[in-house]
Amino acid sequence: MPQPLIFFLRRLFATALTVVGAVAALFLLIQFVPGDLVSVLLGPRATPALRAAITAKMGLDEPFLTRLWLFLSQAAQGDFGNDVISGRPIRDIVFEVLPNTFELAFSALGVSLLIGIPLGALAAVKPGSLIDTLLGVVSVAFITTPSFVLSIVLLLIFSISLHWLPVTGAGTPGDFGDRLDHLILPTTALALGWVGYIARLVRASLLEVLAEQHVRTLRAFGVPEWRVVLVFAMRLALVPLISVLGIGIGDLIGNAIFAEIVFARPGIGTTLYNAAASRNYPVLQAAIVIVVLTYVIANLLVDLVNGILDPRVMRARRQAA
Amino acid sequence: MSISANRRTFLLGTAAAATVPMLFHGRPVLAADRDTVTIRMDTDIGNLDPANRTGSTEDNILYAVCQNLARFNPNSLEWSPDAAKSLKQVSDTEIDFELNPGQMFHGGYGEMTAEDIKFSFERFTKTDDKGNKPAYADDFSALDHVEVTGKYTGKIMLKNPAPALWVIGICDGSGAILSKAACDKLGDKISTQLIGSGPYSFKEWKPKEQFVLEANPDYKGPDTPHFKQIVTKIIPEPKTALLAYLADEIALTEVDPTSQDELKKKNAGEVKKIDGIDYQWIGINVEKPPLDNIKVRQAIRYAIDVDAIIAGAYNNTVPRADNLLAPGLLGYWKDTPVYKHDPDKAKALLAEAGQTNISLTFTSLNDATSQAIAQIAQANLAEVGINVTLKPLDSGAYWALGDHDASKDLELTLIPYSSKFDPSFQTQWFLSDQVGVWNWQRWKSPEFDQLHKEAASILDKGEREKKYIRMQQLLDESASCIWITHGVHVFGHDTWFKPAFLPNGINWQLRFYDKA
Repeated sequence: MPQPLIFFLRRLFATALTVVGAVAALFLLIQFVPGDLVSVLLGPRATPALRAAITAKMGLDEPFLTRLWLFLSQAAQGDFGNDVISGRPIRDIVFEVLPNTFELAFSALGVSLLIGIPLGALAAVKPGSLIDTLLGVVSVAFITTPSFVLSIVLLLIFSISLHWLPVTGAGTPGDFGDRLDHLILPTTALALGWVGYIARLVRASLLEVLAEQHVRTLRAFGVPEWRVVLVFAMRLALVPLISVLGIGIGDLIGNAIFAEIVFARPGIGTTLYNAAASRNYPVLQAAIVIVVLTYVIANLLVDLVNGILDPRVMRARRQAA
Repeated sequence: MSISANRRTFLLGTAAAATVPMLFHGRPVLAADRDTVTIRMDTDIGNLDPANRTGSTEDNILYAVCQNLARFNPNSLEWSPDAAKSLKQVSDTEIDFELNPGQMFHGGYGEMTAEDIKFSFERFTKTDDKGNKPAYADDFSALDHVEVTGKYTGKIMLKNPAPALWVIGICDGSGAILSKAACDKLGDKISTQLIGSGPYSFKEWKPKEQFVLEANPDYKGPDTPHFKQIVTKIIPEPKTALLAYLADEIALTEVDPTSQDELKKKNAGEVKKIDGIDYQWIGINVEKPPLDNIKVRQAIRYAIDVDAIIAGAYNNTVPRADNLLAPGLLGYWKDTPVYKHDPDKAKALLAEAGQTNISLTFTSLNDATSQAIAQIAQANLAEVGINVTLKPLDSGAYWALGDHDASKDLELTLIPYSSKFDPSFQTQWFLSDQVGVWNWQRWKSPEFDQLHKEAASILDKGEREKKYIRMQQLLDESASCIWITHGVHVFGHDTWFKPAFLPNGINWQLRFYDKA
């Protein structure tokens, strides 16, 4: 069997194990969390009989392993059951908001890459210059400012004072302009921290690569500086960045919750938060599976891309195996 | 190509990118189309079935989309016939009704008949295939059956006199009239597809984002829909709602009372305040030593400075409560004693009780206001030598205290309960049979129980009032509750727009929304 295929299958197996492990851990945690959905929603109107009925409806009275097996086997077929409050399929509840979160997370990632990489490269080719120092300060400022603080500041400037951009929602489906309007502020709030982080990372990585012998050789052969930097050095400098992006996707989805709350955007973050706060475990489990799947698939892709960009990665894993 | 050239290009590009937002300059976010009003609610739809609804959002939709036999008048607890041509209590246990003819359900589900009334009300008394009652079964607990006597006429037959049935059942969300044909066809889907006959129809719902009500052209009832559409945005976070209001994205929002000054920043806006009828209090577990000693409880009541709580936690934006039932409700006790902060008296009572070294736990929700109240109470009690440990809980863990007798371990608890317009709804949580469930004071009084039972089944208003006042006197004598506030609801709305609310501030009467 070809080595890349073996590598891919191994990573796929590890991915499946990660998903099962995460869901099992969640099921285990639920055993110890006090509170139930009916009491949170109805308060004193929640009679013991009603609580027991809803608990049974959610399957929480079943043994741990039975519940885990039922959930995993149904989830594998894309069936998460129905929400006990609204009766709507949980799959619909989760999947109708998922595109909003992906839209936000990936646009933030795209913006941070588009701005962060050139900024990092600029700083690396002129180390110690005014631009490098300035970028260092700005990057640290971006990294250390929480996205929810930035969200509120952006809202106050661009929505309240200037009336340029809307405050809430995700825009009308199918109306590209409207959706873009609704995306600008939350994307900016989420992306800025990553712009700083990526810029710092690219700068450090590129400086390291530029100091290596093969780069000196290229320069000695008279290869133009822009080709040295952008074609030869950048390819290697981006390897650590790609590894970080796998984690970054998880981080952006996690941070998206703040942007979703501040901008009242429907998304997987607010769905997770509300389901956890109201103890709506079936919805929580489904949302967790989707987030875990997104995260592990992103990391799987990152591993594969890394393997392609830098064959040493695949070789190292093969040797480790 | 050189690096310096790239840098210049890059800087130029960045500057260009920075100007992109300017392309949106001056674009009004809210269309000036006054046929549509956009408002905000803080909670999304959970379940639109009147018997299993989950909160005020559903109630507000039901008031607009469905007809009741009678409905509350604008901004009032007085009621007038709605779907009913006539509605009469002919005896303690019989209410006769006659419907107006020609009232059509949305979606082509036909004309409303007495059979729909029978179906809509009796479903509260029935159990599902697993023997479970609907969540709001208690609202029609007095109902025996509905007798259909003609296409438009019928009798509501009760098991016992039920004065609360009018405001909690017939006029409220539970009394919303559904189409039997629609429910038979849609089954469980009525939880998200509401079919009524009211001035507005339920047009569209984008979960977690917004829902839209549309004027019903076939409506034959007594009211007139003044907007073609009412768009309701779901914005859970109050600060975001405030910003959306200031940015002209919504024409109405409720805000936290402490943020009311922010509303004044809007030139074309008005601030409306409605005193609440809910109740928040510090409950004292009368079973837990040393709190089983009434002198200790009285000492705590004198030690805690409620006025300081109103000032410190609420910035003096809410009125102080001194008993269970809010002003305006039947049974409001206007001569209720007011306990002022008196640490000397508290110390004397503790000395009389022989208690000098008390340590207690104060349980509350973990929101900022609740924690501020807990901290003020902690400081007050420290002043008289009572050491208090704070225990803030998230809402899930907090409301779990109503399960499995968990309340037996509570000592001092900050409790927020919501109210309805009939006092029997409020007094029910203080009954002996609620100990271990929602009576977290664990105070039991056979006299209180008896009065509750009697007051809930007599129609004479004066007699009922006396009984509810006596019940509050008993609560006061027990020194098991330190009342904080009935709350206040603060709204910001555009000057061109005229909203309507029931006098609790929680229920919004969308059907009466109008242009000023």
